[in-house]
Amino acid sequence: MTVLRTSLRNVLAHKGRMLLSGMAVVLSVAFVCGTLVFTATMNTTFDQLFAETASNVMVAPQEDDEGSAFEEGPTTGVPDTLPVTVLDRIAAVDGVERVTGTVSSTTAVAVDGDNENIGPTSGAPTVVASWSDIELRSMEIAEGRPPSGPDEIMIDGDTADKKNLGVGDGLRLVTALGDHPVTISGIADFTITNPGAALVYTDLPTAQRILLGATDRITAVYVDSTGAVTDEALKAAVTDALGDGPYKIQTADEYIEENRDQIGEVLGIVRYVLLGFAGVALLVGVFLIVNTFSMLVAQRTREIGLMRAIGAGRRQITGSVLIEALLLGLAASVVGFGVGIGLAVVLMSLMSLLGMNLSTDELTIGWSVPAIGIVLGVAVTLVAAYFPSRRAARISPMAALRDAGLPGDTRAGRARTVIGAVCAAAGLAALAGTATADDSAADGVPYLVLGVPLSLIGLIVVGPFLVGLVVRVLSALLLRMFGPVGRLAERNALRNPRRTGATAAALMIGLALVAGLSVVGTSMVASATEEIDDSLGADFVISALNFQPVLPDPAEAVRSVAELDHVTEVRQIESEVDFPDGGHGDITFSVTTPGYVDDFTSTVLSGDITRALEPGGISVDADTADRHGLEVGDDLAVTFDNGTGTATLTVRAITSTDSVLEGTAWYTGLDTARASLAEDALPLPTMMFATAADGQQDEARAALETALDPYPTMEVRDQAEFKELIQGQIGQLLIMVYALLALAIIVAILGVVNTLALSVVERTREIGLMRAIGLSRRQLRRMIRLESVVIALFGAILGLGLGMAWGAAGQQLLAAENFTVLEIPWVTIVAVFVGSALVGLLAALLPAFRAGRMNVLDAIATE
Amino acid sequence: MTTAVEDATTGDGGGHPAMAARAESVAKAYGAGETRVVALDGVSVDIERGVFTAIMGPSGSGKSTLMHCLAGLDTVTAGRVWIGDTEITGMKDKKLTRLRRDSVGFVFQAFNLLPTLDAIENITLPMDIAGREPDPDWLRRVVETVGLADRLKHRPNQLSGGQQQRVAVARALAARPAIIFADEPTGNLDSRAGAEVLGFLRRSVDDLGQTIVMVTHDPVAAAHADRIVFLADGHVVDEMREPTADRVLDRMRRFDTRGRTS
Repeated sequence: MTVLRTSLRNVLAHKGRMLLSGMAVVLSVAFVCGTLVFTATMNTTFDQLFAETASNVMVAPQEDDEGSAFEEGPTTGVPDTLPVTVLDRIAAVDGVERVTGTVSSTTAVAVDGDNENIGPTSGAPTVVASWSDIELRSMEIAEGRPPSGPDEIMIDGDTADKKNLGVGDGLRLVTALGDHPVTISGIADFTITNPGAALVYTDLPTAQRILLGATDRITAVYVDSTGAVTDEALKAAVTDALGDGPYKIQTADEYIEENRDQIGEVLGIVRYVLLGFAGVALLVGVFLIVNTFSMLVAQRTREIGLMRAIGAGRRQITGSVLIEALLLGLAASVVGFGVGIGLAVVLMSLMSLLGMNLSTDELTIGWSVPAIGIVLGVAVTLVAAYFPSRRAARISPMAALRDAGLPGDTRAGRARTVIGAVCAAAGLAALAGTATADDSAADGVPYLVLGVPLSLIGLIVVGPFLVGLVVRVLSALLLRMFGPVGRLAERNALRNPRRTGATAAALMIGLALVAGLSVVGTSMVASATEEIDDSLGADFVISALNFQPVLPDPAEAVRSVAELDHVTEVRQIESEVDFPDGGHGDITFSVTTPGYVDDFTSTVLSGDITRALEPGGISVDADTADRHGLEVGDDLAVTFDNGTGTATLTVRAITSTDSVLEGTAWYTGLDTARASLAEDALPLPTMMFATAADGQQDEARAALETALDPYPTMEVRDQAEFKELIQGQIGQLLIMVYALLALAIIVAILGVVNTLALSVVERTREIGLMRAIGLSRRQLRRMIRLESVVIALFGAILGLGLGMAWGAAGQQLLAAENFTVLEIPWVTIVAVFVGSALVGLLAALLPAFRAGRMNVLDAIATE
Repeated sequence: MTTAVEDATTGDGGGHPAMAARAESVAKAYGAGETRVVALDGVSVDIERGVFTAIMGPSGSGKSTLMHCLAGLDTVTAGRVWIGDTEITGMKDKKLTRLRRDSVGFVFQAFNLLPTLDAIENITLPMDIAGREPDPDWLRRVVETVGLADRLKHRPNQLSGGQQQRVAVARALAARPAIIFADEPTGNLDSRAGAEVLGFLRRSVDDLGQTIVMVTHDPVAAAHADRIVFLADGHVVDEMREPTADRVLDRMRRFDTRGRTS
């Protein structure tokens, strides 16, 4: 009991010092709890969304493949359909109260009077659907009336607000079947969470006409029961009534389940990424806590010695430190849980940037969230405090009698240094091993998985030894110019290498991840850019927003631009191929038009790519050719999906797979595909290439822009812009990663602040002495700032060095996947290095201020 | 006498040219209301140049407070203080720090040295901070006088308590301050080491012309001084020139007696 009371008193007595290490736990626990609450809430929201909208039984066309929730629209631009006759057959089933046939498509664009796209640009679709009473489950009419007739639509209120649209405004709907002028007749608001899409309703005949081009087809059937039978029984009855056919029939539960699984996949990834970062923050926090407790123990050396002298056992000393840690961990975790809920709310409001209005009413907090958070927070704190507590127990009773001054913990242990060096060397060797991955990145993954943690642990363990070397070099370069103040700062950074090492390690982890990922990202961009330079011959690349296909009207607009020398297009067609050796394979063909070889240069290993694009010809990739022993001149049986039959096509070229842009692409000509596909089964182009007539580049660009003006989702890029697009995609990914890693770096900054603040307290008498003999406040503050900068730069050097090694190893893996260029982003590296110095300055602000305010006399008189 | 550095700044005339430091009707009180404690109550004292002055008195007499006020480490509640010609009462921290740096040396009872610096670095620290080059001849002389020539590269934790105090004295001397304040410099030392340090302080006055003010409650230590100022209950109660240990002890006993009878 006495032990507990002493511990409690110690925690309270050192509130300020505990606060910072507590912050590390708070942040980590908050991140974990926030992630859990956020994903749970998203799940609840989507569950509700699907539960609200589902009928007892749902009937849809059977899909060829397992689709995902964020499935791209059908490549033909027209959705899969059911015949309208199924409605009557289902209506005749016992227990059916109501049958509703609906039509919807995501391959459509709504354009306002200024030729602006009214749909979301965040990746969520514009959904054009037929209006029926079913929709009232999730929508209510806010203004006007539902659409009726061929030229009326109703849009959702969020889109109307965002685009400043009202009843009576004219729009155009661009679909795979053409351009359709329409007028807004009404506006409907979501009564559930808006999942981020833009909704455009027409009446059923209009939807059938403009989306399907057939008035006798529908895309889904909602079957509501009278309630007399279970959903399962109703499903069985509907299945019987429809007989065999390409139907997907689901009960409401199955429908919800399937959609939940699809959303869950995406949410699951989000969750693991966020938890990964929480883990990094937690790891960084460990160093902070170890440091805090080490310093608290060091400062209490005499006190602990006294307790030992009057008979306290080692266990009691260890116990008292651990109980302090327990109290700290518990308090911080509880706060962290609360902050985590706040974080979840912030994440939810961030989702509104994607157009998703999540309601905090649906905040889902299971009992497991606080349990996990608190157990994790307490466990981490205890583990981190264990080592300092052991050290405390080793303090001899003699310490009470000695005027111990400061702990003599100035040497990094030799054994520790050797172990660390061996571990780091093994890690680096493993990283170098990634170079052996030639064919596939998977070969090198074990090396990376082994090398990253080994090199990290090794460097952390050997850190205190490196402090001596690196800090001296840094000081020689940087601090000497600050004269005696610089020298004092250097000595202070060197006086306790273990402490400096641990403080810097916290920063090192975050920076290593930043450096590693930015090396990988930059290398990917550089590889892709190099390849674009090598292979892209066309002046312009034309594609649609959000990976949508190029609809026929805009495609025709491109083809009609007079200033262009030629236009080619690429379509993707799924197929099944029988190989001569008896094997089968699912192959996605890139179907192109003549002239394509000028626009995009493939590396041909044998044969002639131009001839491959002529009727009856194909090209195959070298890997598959090797695997199945294919050679130029071989015939293959190819069955295009939705095709009219099997065609025998001849291999006329074999292309290299050493390309990021192409990979294992197979090519064939559009005429070849047309021979086996009905016109309405032909997929839309995914991309078009255009080459300007000689010397008319600028005119061609202007003409293209004009021609595509009515189609705002179409994007024209010249070669430079196409490179920027790829850079932007990777850059966006990196920015997200950096933003999340900022958390780890914030925790690391807290660590530097904490170490410095505790050092200042520890050195009170020294500071008093220096002030007495004439050190000015400014010089004192500068001394502390310089020490902080040196520690931060030490962490930066280790972190950036390690990160570059990781990045280079990661690039070796990517090289196996054709990203062959290794590029070190020196600008980022130097910026991070300089930024670290600023971080050091920032971290020193408060401790330096406090040191400056110390009363000289009090400081000298301090025990 | 030629060795002490003259402070170039001229005061407002209150300082006496022959005095290294002066206190005039200095009062110092801590706290307020019922907890108010008066440590100094109208103390006036002149510290002569080139003289080894000891301030003595029983515990709580205000001797350390007087030293702190004279040295510019503490502010006074009333009265005025000069170091050399410069009045330091009301001086801003920045100027005061510079004055301490350039004109004052300190030797404390314990924890005099920075543990991260070796002996010679500690000795030259005040000059380093000021950005001044130490005078090599003077530095050699100081180091030789203190007898530390073979210990200069040692860190404080490699030196004995006596050696540490000698380094502290060397540091105070090396910058050639106008005045050195020593606060119980032998308080933590055994008698042999203490005598060594005191002998060294004595020599620095005799040979180097240094002005020293030492606070102590040890009659043996005080006997090394030229002059003793006795403090009791915040007042100057007596003064003694050319003291011997016996005379000091006698004088101190009278405090004890009075303390018991009053």
